[in-house]
Amino acid sequence: MSEFRIHHHVSELLSLLGASTGDGPEVYAEMLTKNLTPYVTTQVSAHAAKRKIAETSTMPRDFLKKYDELKSKNVRELDPLVYMLSRLAEDKQMLTFLDKNSKERSKARLGAVSSGAKINAVAAAEAILDNVPASGTMSQHEVNELRTKLATVTSSASQSGSTPVAVLKALREKQAKRAGNLPPTPSWVSERPYLSRDYVAGTGINQSTIPVSIGTLPLPMQELAIVEDLLFLMMGVEGKYLLVKPLKDKFSARSFTIDKTLEISLLELVQRILPVCSHYSTICRFMEAKSSFEHGLINHALCAAMRTLLKEYLILVAQLEHQFRLGQLSLQKLWFYIQPCMRTMEILSSIAVAIDKGSCKGGAVLTLLHEKTVGYTGDSKSQDLCLFLTQAACVPYFDILEQWIYKGIISDPYSEFLVAEHGSVQKEKVTEDYNDAYPLKISLHNKLIFMFVRENIPVFLEKVAHKILSTGKYLNVIRQCGQNVQCPNADEIIYTLHEREYVEKIEKAYSYASKTLLDLLMDERALMARLRSIKHYFLMDLGDFFVQFMDLAEDEMKKYMDDIMPSRLETLLELALRTSTANNDPYKDDLRVDLLPYDLITQLFRILSVAYDSRGATAYNQDPTELQISGLEAFSFDYVVKWPVSLILSKKALTKYQMLFRHLFYARHVERQLCNVWLSNKRAKRFTLNSSPWYAASFALRQRMLHFVQTYEHYMMFEVLEPSWHVMEKSLKTVTNIDGVLENHNDFLDRCLKDCMLTNLELLKVVSKLMLVCVTFTNCMQVRYFSCVIFSPAVYQSASVESQESDAPGVSPMSKKGPRPGEHERRRTTAKVVSDHVDKMISGEI
Amino acid sequence: MPREIITLQIGQCGNQIGMEFWKQLCAEHGIRPDGILEDFATDGTDRKDVFFYQADDEHYIPRAVLLDLEPRVIDGITSSPYANLYNPENMYTAKHGGGAGNNWASGYSQAERLHEETFDIIDREADGSDSLEGFVMCHSIAGGTGSVFPQQEDVSDVVVQPYNSILTLKRLTQNADCVVVLDNTALNRIAADRLHIQNPTFSQVNQLVSTIMATSTTTLRYPGYMNNDLIGLIASLIPTPRLHFLMTGYTPLTTDQKVANIRKTTVLDVMRRLLQPKNVMVSTLRDRKNNHCYISILNIIQGEVDPTQVHKSLQRIRERKLAEFIPWGPASIQVALSRKSPYVQTAHRVSGLMLANHTSISTVFEKNCRLFDKLRKREAFLENYKKEDIFKENFDELDASREVVQQLIEEYQAATKDGYIMWGTQQQGASGTDVSKV
Repeated sequence: MSEFRIHHHVSELLSLLGASTGDGPEVYAEMLTKNLTPYVTTQVSAHAAKRKIAETSTMPRDFLKKYDELKSKNVRELDPLVYMLSRLAEDKQMLTFLDKNSKERSKARLGAVSSGAKINAVAAAEAILDNVPASGTMSQHEVNELRTKLATVTSSASQSGSTPVAVLKALREKQAKRAGNLPPTPSWVSERPYLSRDYVAGTGINQSTIPVSIGTLPLPMQELAIVEDLLFLMMGVEGKYLLVKPLKDKFSARSFTIDKTLEISLLELVQRILPVCSHYSTICRFMEAKSSFEHGLINHALCAAMRTLLKEYLILVAQLEHQFRLGQLSLQKLWFYIQPCMRTMEILSSIAVAIDKGSCKGGAVLTLLHEKTVGYTGDSKSQDLCLFLTQAACVPYFDILEQWIYKGIISDPYSEFLVAEHGSVQKEKVTEDYNDAYPLKISLHNKLIFMFVRENIPVFLEKVAHKILSTGKYLNVIRQCGQNVQCPNADEIIYTLHEREYVEKIEKAYSYASKTLLDLLMDERALMARLRSIKHYFLMDLGDFFVQFMDLAEDEMKKYMDDIMPSRLETLLELALRTSTANNDPYKDDLRVDLLPYDLITQLFRILSVAYDSRGATAYNQDPTELQISGLEAFSFDYVVKWPVSLILSKKALTKYQMLFRHLFYARHVERQLCNVWLSNKRAKRFTLNSSPWYAASFALRQRMLHFVQTYEHYMMFEVLEPSWHVMEKSLKTVTNIDGVLENHNDFLDRCLKDCMLTNLELLKVVSKLMLVCVTFTNCMQVRYFSCVIFSPAVYQSASVESQESDAPGVSPMSKKGPRPGEHERRRTTAKVVSDHVDKMISGEI
Repeated sequence: MPREIITLQIGQCGNQIGMEFWKQLCAEHGIRPDGILEDFATDGTDRKDVFFYQADDEHYIPRAVLLDLEPRVIDGITSSPYANLYNPENMYTAKHGGGAGNNWASGYSQAERLHEETFDIIDREADGSDSLEGFVMCHSIAGGTGSVFPQQEDVSDVVVQPYNSILTLKRLTQNADCVVVLDNTALNRIAADRLHIQNPTFSQVNQLVSTIMATSTTTLRYPGYMNNDLIGLIASLIPTPRLHFLMTGYTPLTTDQKVANIRKTTVLDVMRRLLQPKNVMVSTLRDRKNNHCYISILNIIQGEVDPTQVHKSLQRIRERKLAEFIPWGPASIQVALSRKSPYVQTAHRVSGLMLANHTSISTVFEKNCRLFDKLRKREAFLENYKKEDIFKENFDELDASREVVQQLIEEYQAATKDGYIMWGTQQQGASGTDVSKV
């Protein structure tokens, strides 16, 4: 996680927590960065944590119940949350602090929470952080509150509070929004109860038709009747003596009423057999519900798999019936025969219940199945069964996966896949973009954004999820470049318990994709040459081009920005490009001139003051439009970047380049100005210093300034840009995927910006002030020089006419300027003040 | 539209050095002696157009003007393999071909007669460039025709050398922007000590000079981040306009004839060696009165250099106080990193040129002044000068030149002290009396 991202999170968290006092986010960000461990600690012992909280809490049972409930709903991040809570419970200091604050805070927060139920799990967890009460003083109110929060956390996962119909409708609408063309299920599916394999409650054999209560029959008859009833029940038909109770709610297990008069020994056996029927009911309901379109391919596949199992079960029932017709099936025998299938049905129904409860879909289903499969380790039969189901359910998922990692296409009509495509995102805005948050989503380019759908990542793919995302991303990019992707080892991926088998294939695909894209960028699109070209212009690596360009364009650029004709600058740029060594650069035509309506300092202050919590920004908060800035300040280069190189040279990267450029450009401008002063000072060499006393001070000052500017430039160019560039170049040679390239390039830019003092407000202020002083000095000197010429034309002549040189070598140009004695004093003090100022600043800086 | 530099080669010495210089430049840019680009050099990223321009047939012509009053040296050039390189119109020898006979005054008056023709050539050359950066003038200061090459007494074969030098020095002080001072004593010493050539030939010595000249312009010809114009290069070296006499040093030195034993070169090694007096190409004298020090230093480092090494080396040099700087200004070694010519193979990884403004250069002038004073007192050898117009009536010009040089020496001496910036102000009263005397 980059420093900037941490910074962003911290500031977001702070605003979420409503912490307005205390230190700025940078302090915390730094602290966090220091404490950052390289290990990902997702595997926390939730059990121990759970126990700890339960111990410290006054209402352990409630807590545990809530926990189990959440657990059964398959809520992600639950374990880390619990772990964190337990850590909080341990921390005495935190507890006392929270205790103090909880009262007033909780009230405000309660309002906030109840109003905005859409806080995601992480953010809410952080919010709860505040409200975990001290162990000893946990009041009823606070427990309730905690529970409310936990409920809110999971509100998105468990929308089951409303009626199933509403959920279905909502789901449908959501689907319709996403997929758009989800075919509707005909209404008769829900209208005709007899289409179901499940029991039809209440409409079965009329109770009044039961001739006699079973108790009145002799025992063999009772057995016959009850076996027949059971066989019916096993197929989803209500029996004569065993009646179906209506369902309490959608997920509850089916229960039956047994004729009370049944012989007690039979009753005992019947009660043991009945769960099979209730499982059957659950499974049937599950299958029928999940087969509709909106539940997605994974559920469909799972249902299909269950159906095959159910078919076998029905065959068994048919065989039993055959036996029954032959008169060979006693209740005992029935009990004996259904033994193996009881376990199967139980597992199936438990899966069905779990999926229903969590209203799982897509990857979540697979997670659940995977966990079940792993959970049955040791019970090989059950495990085989689960494996069969998981494999079946994985088939559509892995089909999507294969499409994605082998071709870079998402064909995911029910949005079940772990990667989702988020359509058009507007073109990034320049300044806002620079500081806006480094979004969590991995933005690839300005057309499509692919991002993770957390709940759709199956547990067994979690480790490789990033690779999967990247693989498809890369392939997608390649496809957008108009190239066909043909992954050489596109094997079918099958779910097994040994994750190495599919992980290996994914990794192979990943390495292929990253290599292909890297090759595409590096070789075909000549990324390095591009970067080098950019370096020529934005980092001023080709100095002669600049000398050329400045010679040509200086006059134009000294005008105010509104008076400058960009087309003219464009022409001059073109000319400078053609006549300097930049002519050898094959990409020189992509360079453009850009005039920005704000100068660099304003831009940076704006960016930095946004990032630094608007401290110290007030002084620089002038509206840039009010200021007339000259072309020199407004000037910048722009560079036309084509897809897919814009992956690397994104708008953001270019902006950074531009900032570096403008900084360097201004320094170069100051240097040129000082050199101009040097040129005009040359004339003074006709006179000894003796005779032109006040020159020496200004010469020394100019020298100091020139030295400073040149040293500063040298520092930036040879100690920052060039070494960083080399580091990047080296690492780009070894990098294996495009994310690495991006990261290296960003690191390079960030390092350059930082080391060129562009990210530090204080330093930037000092540097810009120094530059300003230098410019003021050069302006003053140039005016002064001319005034000197005007005031003493005689001197000027004597200096320029060769023949007169011999007559008065000692004559001072200043002494001839006698009539204005006050002038000296004034200039002297000015020069002194300026030089003192510079001295002070230099010493202050060091 | 490059920033062109026109080279003026004046007199015997100037032309000899010039020839070596163009040889060196041709080699570095991959240009054959006849001006045609070598096949391997067609796609170079260097800037040939600073010193060359292209004729209609694509062959490169140096921006050089060759002037001499006697034909010997220029004839030598026209019979060398490089004969076709130069623009024949730019070679000018006086028609009578008699030379100036080591007489400054003779050269001066002849120049007056010839200046129209020579200035025609120079004007034409200057008009041919879009944004002229400046002139480089190669000449000795001892001779008659041209005059930057102060020779020391012991190797000088010209008795009137002190007169010529002082007269030239005045012009250099007042008109030149930057003078790179080299002297034969130092060059011979370096040839003997560093290159182990006991009796160096003129061309060997001139090779050293051409190396200096070529290297000092390398940042212009192989553009990098910084120092891409002449002014940027020398402005920081010359804080006040009159203190513009620079010393040079170069290391490691090699010649064609002999492959010197190759040493390991690092940036630190190079920078340290550059500061050693024995590598400096001017022999300055010891001056006990003044504590001479550097006014500024620019090191041009060529080759495969890691910028971090530069930083470290500078730090080391600062820690060990290897270079002493003026007390009144910013004091540090500036470093310009430059590429090497890809066409000239050198055995060393790193090489460096030092351009330094050191106050001890005044001792060179002082010595000249002493010699001048000796002769002047006796009015020795002045008959030949008297023949020419400028000295017909009196020798005021000689004395005036002496005065200018003396002021220069004083300024250099003053620059060693802290009060230099205020120097003029404290002495204002004194200069006032000077004025009244005049």
